[in-house]
Amino acid sequence: MKADQVLIAHHDVLRGLLRQLAETTEDQTAQRGRLRDELLRELEVHTQIEDELFYPAVRDVSPLLSLAHAEHRQIDDQLATVMRTPLDDPDFGTEVGMLSATLHHHTFEEEERMFPQSHALGEERLEELGRQLQERQRELTRSGAMRLIVRLKRMTLRHV
Amino acid sequence: MLDGPGYQLEHGISLTYLLAGRRARPLQDLLHGVWLGHPLHPALVTVPVGAWTAASVLDGLAATGRGGPGAGSAARVTVGVGVAGAVASAATGLTDWQHAHDGARRVGLVHAGLNSTALGLYSWSLLDRGRRGRAGRARLTAAAGLALTLASSWLGGALSYRHGLGTDHADRSPEPRRFTPVLQASDLVDGQPVGVDVDGVPVVLVAGDGEVRAVGGRCPHQGAPLGEGWLHRGELVCPWHGSRFDLGTGEPTQGPSTAPLPCFETRLREGRVEVRRRGNWRSPTATTTVEEASR
Repeated sequence: MKADQVLIAHHDVLRGLLRQLAETTEDQTAQRGRLRDELLRELEVHTQIEDELFYPAVRDVSPLLSLAHAEHRQIDDQLATVMRTPLDDPDFGTEVGMLSATLHHHTFEEEERMFPQSHALGEERLEELGRQLQERQRELTRSGAMRLIVRLKRMTLRHV
Repeated sequence: MLDGPGYQLEHGISLTYLLAGRRARPLQDLLHGVWLGHPLHPALVTVPVGAWTAASVLDGLAATGRGGPGAGSAARVTVGVGVAGAVASAATGLTDWQHAHDGARRVGLVHAGLNSTALGLYSWSLLDRGRRGRAGRARLTAAAGLALTLASSWLGGALSYRHGLGTDHADRSPEPRRFTPVLQASDLVDGQPVGVDVDGVPVVLVAGDGEVRAVGGRCPHQGAPLGEGWLHRGELVCPWHGSRFDLGTGEPTQGPSTAPLPCFETRLREGRVEVRRRGNWRSPTATTTVEEASR
């Protein structure tokens, strides 16, 4: 798979999780908690593979790196708000809606603008980059360090 | 080369604010200057620059024996005021800098590095001023600190006047002065912002509660296209850095933007939405457009 296809597939995972989370109600706190933790983990992996591999690779063919970083930051900040909001709070849905809008704008920016720009790298390079992204994604998903970071982040964000 | 350390520093700032929890937003808005209507940083830096300049005058008088008995302790107090002002200025500067892009981000990083070095020198100078026999070294480190501060202030000027960091990026055209049709009212969906171009002026329309409201389509902070933004709790959110705007007044309710959006009056005529620029002193317009001047 080419790099942009790998990332679009992961965007689909993130969008799916957010859609499921948005469909939950105030009394489904267990399900909300599970989906929220899964979203936190996947977003952490996604940010890391983009920051580590994809953005440095497209630095010379896309002028949108600063925007992508700014959008990651906005997603991060809103995710923190969602983590702080109690699962049975009436505001939970509103904050998830805001996270969803932020994520959708970021994926739109990448899929409609940055990924077409990345095609200037050529098929071969994109295939190679795609392999690296998939490998790193698998590695991070399994990694104990990543699990620890996510757990620490979850605990901290809930208590501040 | 500077982007690596730049992003690391930003991650550090981001983490600090995440740990501040609910207090992070009001704190950042305070430091950006949302309450002031201008960036707070350029206003606050006059404290260290002014105090340290005064201290250099007092140091000069004391060194040449013309300062009288109080000059030494007066210099010590002014250096101290400058150090306190510099710490506060650094907090405002870093808070603004975290949202800078590309060239401005790199220049800002060098600006911050020079200022931090100057702050270090002045802190050392302040410590020496409390010790016997260190007066000469205290004046020397202060002089070096002042030279760095002035060099760094030049970079700060470049950030504002060349890179436009902290300046107003909204479109301040006085047009359209007469009600101008922009689109069919049936094209609007409640709660979904739509960006339109009115003879070159970017405008965002938002339908809801039986009315249509219209504000400028370019974010005052860094010129983001607000037509790609969304609503959260009835406010328009900037897609780039998350500034939020009141649709009735155009005022930012959350930074980093410190300036209000231009507002437009709207009316419905034959099923079409028409808009007209609404001026007030907080959201001024140029009286003559470039097109008019060149006619």
